[in-house]
Amino acid sequence: MRTSRKLVTVAFGAAVLLPLGVSSAFAADGDANANLAPVALNGVQGSGTAMVRVQGTTITVTMAASGLLPDSPHAAHIHFAAEARHECPAAADDMSGDGTLNTSEGGPAYGGIVVSLTKTGDTSPDSGLAVDRFDTAPGGQISYERGSIEVAPEVAQAIVDGKSVVVIHGVDHNENGMYDGDVMSDLDPALPTEATDPALCGVLAAAPVGGVATGAGGAAPIGADAGLLVAGGALVLAAAGTGAFAARRMSTRV
Amino acid sequence: MSVTARNDGRRRLLATAAVVLACLGAVALVVGLRGQAGPPMPPGEAAEISSAEPKRSREPEPARDAGSTAVAPSPAPQQPSADFGPIMDAASPVGITITAIEVDTTALVPLTVGPDGVLPAPTDFATVGWHVRGPNPGQLGPAVLAAHVDGPDGPAAFYRLGELTAGDEVSIARDDGTVARFVIDAVNRYAKDDFPTSQVYGDTTGRAEIRLITCGGAFDRSTGHYVDNIVVFGHLIG
Repeated sequence: MRTSRKLVTVAFGAAVLLPLGVSSAFAADGDANANLAPVALNGVQGSGTAMVRVQGTTITVTMAASGLLPDSPHAAHIHFAAEARHECPAAADDMSGDGTLNTSEGGPAYGGIVVSLTKTGDTSPDSGLAVDRFDTAPGGQISYERGSIEVAPEVAQAIVDGKSVVVIHGVDHNENGMYDGDVMSDLDPALPTEATDPALCGVLAAAPVGGVATGAGGAAPIGADAGLLVAGGALVLAAAGTGAFAARRMSTRV
Repeated sequence: MSVTARNDGRRRLLATAAVVLACLGAVALVVGLRGQAGPPMPPGEAAEISSAEPKRSREPEPARDAGSTAVAPSPAPQQPSADFGPIMDAASPVGITITAIEVDTTALVPLTVGPDGVLPAPTDFATVGWHVRGPNPGQLGPAVLAAHVDGPDGPAAFYRLGELTAGDEVSIARDDGTVARFVIDAVNRYAKDDFPTSQVYGDTTGRAEIRLITCGGAFDRSTGHYVDNIVVFGHLIG
């Protein structure tokens, strides 16, 4: 008796917990899209989209962008930090006041690197500045596709929750067709800051859930109204029954 | 006398009741059967057509890419030799023309996903909404536009969407003065409670695509909603 009650309690508890467990296990499945736009202050005339499909802790990334400095390596990453604002940096993030935003100044907005969108090899944050493995934007355009990228569970979750940010780096501030200048990168003192400054940025927004409520019924197919058909049928049957009853009474009398 | 009169009265009453009931029933049946055909819908049941995948080919349009280096697409996802076909820069849609079903409007409104994660329909039944956080029409990925099939008083902007078939064209005018032209690959109907979210909103094909969404199927008068969505799949041809 006592044992069975205990079992029931356990079973009930499991039934309550199970849906929670299942939903969190599947929570990291989904799609996200980032509309890439010029980073504030950095003057890039470009745009693009980056789409990420998340399946567990594996992601597939497709990305197309244009308006970048041609034939130059463009580091591209997914950024995230729990404490970040989960957005692209604004002019107010220019802490140095030099009139441009470098990658560190964007940190409070988008956080650190969590995925390096390299063309080959490692995709971890360690490859964040692996300039020989990033797209070089022939004609100023990037066409990037890579699957089977493994990420940490919290990163997968951040992507499907719409909290991660795609950033493509590399800005030709002085418009001389190459990365140069006296200011060195905040990330790698061997590189000019032009090579690592954020060029295009977009928050990976979670795809909508389910369908769209696009009808009010004013032109709905009334033929599909089963209720009306049933009512009509019932009325006809009732009429037949009433008629038969009346007829029987009549014949009985005669 | 009195008995006969009572019987006569009851008989008349019963006969009248039978006629009235028969008439009511007939009216209900006629209205129920042929009162209103409802909006056009793609052929087939939701369950059977939901398995019909849109065209997944990544082949560029032969006519457009005759001069470019048309390399056969690699099936291996690790190879970032991405050939997305034609891709346009970002620009907001400002008009939609679908000649086949006489849609031609500049009444476009932005749609923003709410806290519930659902893409809302436009509030105005005559307008076409576009999903602002998705790709713009012409950019890589599926650009999503949605409009009502009907309002409380009759047909709305996408009433005839279900008439479209593969090969029909959709033109989207954009605020940079360009026009994104799409050709339709598939027109499918899905139960809303079995909506293929990833196939509709995710990048399944690696090219610039379009999704046009409206309602279809039976209208559930208890909820005030149609039970299905009609989704038109297309890709950019220029």
